[in-house]
This record gives sequence, structure tokens and C-alpha cells, in this order.
Amino acid sequence: MFETYDPMRRKWPRRFWTVVAMAAGIYALLPLLWVLSSSLKPAGEIFAGLSPLTPQVLIPSSVTIESYVALATSSFPLALFNSLFIVTVTVIAGLAMSALAGYGLAVFRFRGRAILFAIVVISFLIPFDAVALPLAELFRDWGLDNTYFGLILPGIGNGFAVFLLRQFFLGIPRELIEAARVDGMNEFGIFTRIVLPMSKPALISAAQLIFVFQWQSFLWPLLIATDPRMTVAPVALASFVGQFEVDFGLMFAGCVLTIIVPIGVLLYAQRYFTESVATSGTKG
Amino acid sequence: MSESTGRVSDRAERAVRRSPHRPPARRRAQGREAVLALLFTAPALIALAVLRLWPMGSALTTSLLAPGSDVLGLENFRYLFSDPAFLEMVRVTVLFSVIVNPLQIVLALALAVLLTQRLRGVRFWRILVFLPAAVPQAVSAIVWGVALRPDGPVNGFLATLGIDVQPFLSSKDQALFSIIVIVSWIGVGYWMMFLIAGLLDIPAMYSEAAAIDGAGWWQTFWFVIIPQLRRPLGFVLVADTVANFLVFAPVQILTRGGPEGATNLVMFEIYSRAYQYGDLSLAAAETVLLVLIVLAIVTLQFRLLPGKD
Repeated sequence: MFETYDPMRRKWPRRFWTVVAMAAGIYALLPLLWVLSSSLKPAGEIFAGLSPLTPQVLIPSSVTIESYVALATSSFPLALFNSLFIVTVTVIAGLAMSALAGYGLAVFRFRGRAILFAIVVISFLIPFDAVALPLAELFRDWGLDNTYFGLILPGIGNGFAVFLLRQFFLGIPRELIEAARVDGMNEFGIFTRIVLPMSKPALISAAQLIFVFQWQSFLWPLLIATDPRMTVAPVALASFVGQFEVDFGLMFAGCVLTIIVPIGVLLYAQRYFTESVATSGTKG
Repeated sequence: MSESTGRVSDRAERAVRRSPHRPPARRRAQGREAVLALLFTAPALIALAVLRLWPMGSALTTSLLAPGSDVLGLENFRYLFSDPAFLEMVRVTVLFSVIVNPLQIVLALALAVLLTQRLRGVRFWRILVFLPAAVPQAVSAIVWGVALRPDGPVNGFLATLGIDVQPFLSSKDQALFSIIVIVSWIGVGYWMMFLIAGLLDIPAMYSEAAAIDGAGWWQTFWFVIIPQLRRPLGFVLVADTVANFLVFAPVQILTRGGPEGATNLVMFEIYSRAYQYGDLSLAAAETVLLVLIVLAIVTLQFRLLPGKD
């Protein structure tokens, strides 16, 4: 950090930059506020007060939850449930797999370790979407289309998660593990009962990476979940756009619900994230 | 939970004191450790084989078979490179990458520097800038799709400034720019967080030393901060480039590659080859090319990750 010895020491530049920081924050927030307020407007008022621009754009003349009520009786709740279910299982399974792999690549010493690590991380760094089309063909052949299993599976392999956890496990004192071995504890016991309980920040950050990937996945469910009963929230929302007569209130209400979940997760996980990116040395 | 954890680590600590540090029989231990490592990584290795290698292999095989032929050859690739539509897609994707990546990284860096200064309420502004990173790209596309309509709030704002209604997504000249806005609203805050983590990790003594030497703010920034930030910056550069290669949802939802191919980015091109035109072998050939490029970038990215032994 280099804040103390810069022109910010002077009062006026500091005020100026504070205003710039505020402006950036407000610019980032405005679309979210607009979505929220539009979802609470009565039908027909969503495009009111836009030209010329009036505060009505962000402040509804009267607040109503009719869009949410309409949304509740549409097919969207099922899509939201699918998303929540899929993301929950993905995070649990993905975390288990990434932690096992990260631990295996951090703790054991053997020839070829560096190569194994490179293979695992590089393969998983190849963004899944790049191979989504050929994989969708395979999944259809295997009968995995329109199944939860098929929707969950691609989300569990995450190169960043493996990397982050491995970096964290490298920092665990080797004496601790050796001592547990001397104590007669088996390797899996050491992993689950000694290492995992002390790895909370890294586990939360890895979970966040897996969560974000799966929650925003769009191409894969579009390819593999063709049955409307298996669709997920972002795809369900996108299907509103193509309709002949778009119900914007309904659409915005759906957007609010689809955004609120990840915002909650990120706000909770954010402090751990900065912390474990620091310890993982991604910033070296 | 904390109670049992405490007991286990207590036990471990006592064991540390007890155990004399004896080097184990080296080779046997290595063999045992290799087996253990394989056991722990087995689920990941299986997932990797099924989710990455298998589809890559199948795309490669399909790409080498011309339709109606069972002889392996480069016919599909030869066709692609003589196809004006394919070449136009490459041009659009490169143009998109050349604009969106520097734009996002410069903004992310500027915001990261600004939001690590000692300003009033800076933590709060930082969270606000970060918030859009939570929004799925598909949802950003939907929201901005409405915002950029002729009767939407962006044009309402322009009208207040006395500017005529702009067509944005339905204009050949403005559509790609609109897609850049849609992905950057999410992307800038996300990459900013990596750079903030990097900035906070630079020891204050470097800039203090620079200040003692009489360096100004810009000099400190260029000659002290940027070199210290080399790794996270390199990482963000590469990771962002890969992510932007794969932009799909905004194109699929809003423009379907149009108008006149102006937003036909590579992922949508592959998708439409396969599902609109049903040409699986050309789609596979394009997938192979995409994976090769991404693999090259990712290998570079891997080298930027520190601590790989």
C-alpha cells in the first residue's frame, strides 16, 4: 500500500478522490437498484418517467409485490429450486473432491508430484464451457441429459479451488502431520480430523469459487436440461426475453431472486476470499 | 466441534514433543506416499478424464472426420479457413478481446488503487463496486438488454443530456460495444478484488523508502507498486482473457450473433454451427481450435501461479 506518502495527504485531492470512489460505487449499484425498484412497481409503470429522466425510475410511486405473486405461480420457483439444489450438491461434492486432491498434492512427497499437480490444475483451468458441446453429446449418449447428476457433475472440477486449497495445505506444519502419524492416526483421519478443521478460510473461498461457477452456469443447462422441469434460474429468466409479450415486472422479480442468493454468499465469503488469496500467493 | 478439534491437536502436539525427528527409509516411504497421493487425487483424476480429456478427444476425432467420410483428415479445418463467415467470426472475437481485456484490467487496477486509499467510507464503496460480480452473466444480459432499449433508462439519460435515441444492441456498430458494457459491469469488480488482495500484500516499507528518496506518487506507482504487483496483474490478465473468450450468454440471449454477425463471438459461433445448422463436424473443428488457444493461455497462466515447487 502506498497511501501515506501520496498527494492524498492534502485535503482537497482527498475529497475529490472520495467523490470518485462514491461515483464508482453508485455506478456499479445503479443497475441493481433499478432492477429492485422495477420489480416492486405496478405493471405499466416500469417504463414510466424515463424520458426525460425522473426519480420515478428508481423510486416506485407505490410499492407492490404483485410481480412476485405472479412469479410464484409461474414455472420460475421450480427453476430457482433446481438452481439451489444443484449448487448445494455441487459445492459439497466439489469441495470434497478439491480438498482431497489439494491435500494429496500438498502433503505427500514423491517423484512426479510437480507433473501430477500441473496436469490436474491445467486441465481444470481449461474453462469448462470450451468443451461443453462435445461433452453434451457424450452426456446424451450416456443418458445423463435432464438429470440432476448430469447438471451437477461439470461444476465439481475447479482448478482454482484445487490450487487454492493445495497452497493452504502446503502451509500446514509438517510436524503436525508427522506427529499424528506417530500417534497411529491413519492418513484419512489426519485429513478429516486435523487438517480440515484448521482450513476454514481456504475451504470457504474454494466453496465460493465453486458456487459462483455453478450458479452462473448458462450454456451447460441450456444444452443438457431441455426438459422445462429441469431448467435452472438463469435459463428460465432468459426464456422470458424471447416471449412475444414480455412481462417485465415478472422478469425483474426473477432477476432479483437470482441475484440475491449469490450476493448473500459473496458478502459472507468476501473477507475469507481476500485473506486466502493472500495466503495462496496468487498475488505472490 | 471446537472441543474435539482441540483435543485432537493437543494430542498431536504432545506427539510432536515425543517423536524424535528420524528420517524415514527414503525409497519405501516415497512409494507409499505416491500411492497415498494417488488415492487422494483419484476422484479429481477421474473427473478430469471424464469432464475434460474425453470430450476433448471426442471433439478431436469428430473434427478430423469430414461429413460422410470415415478417413481422418484436415478437411474440416481447410473448409473453415476458407469460409468468410468463420474468418469474420475470428475478426469479431479478436476485436472484442482487444478492447474488452485492456478496458477491464485498466479499470479494475484504477479502482483497486483508488479503493485501497485512505478515503472516507472506502470499504463501503469497495463492496458496492464488487457487488455486480455476484450477478450471473445471463442476468446482466437480461437487465442491460432492457436498460439499453430505445425506451429504456440509458436512452432516457441520454435524452436528458440532449442526445438522440441510440439503437445500441440493434445497431451493427454499437452492438459489440453494448456486449462489452454488459460483461464489464460484472467483470471489473471481480478482477478488482484480486488486485486489491495484491495491493494490500505489498509491504508499506517499499513506498516509504521511495518517499524518502523523494519519489512522487506517479513514480512510486510505476517503479515500485506495478513491479510488486506483477504476479497478480499477470494472473488477472490471463484469467480475464480466457473468461472473455468464452462470453456466450449475452450473445445468445440478446443478439444471436447479429446484427450482420457483428457480435458473433466464438462460443456462440460453435453453438450455432452445432444446433442451428446441425454441422457437428465443423463445430468440433472450431472447438478444437478454441481449446488449443485456451490451453496455450492457461499454460501461461499456470506459470504465473507461484509455489509450484
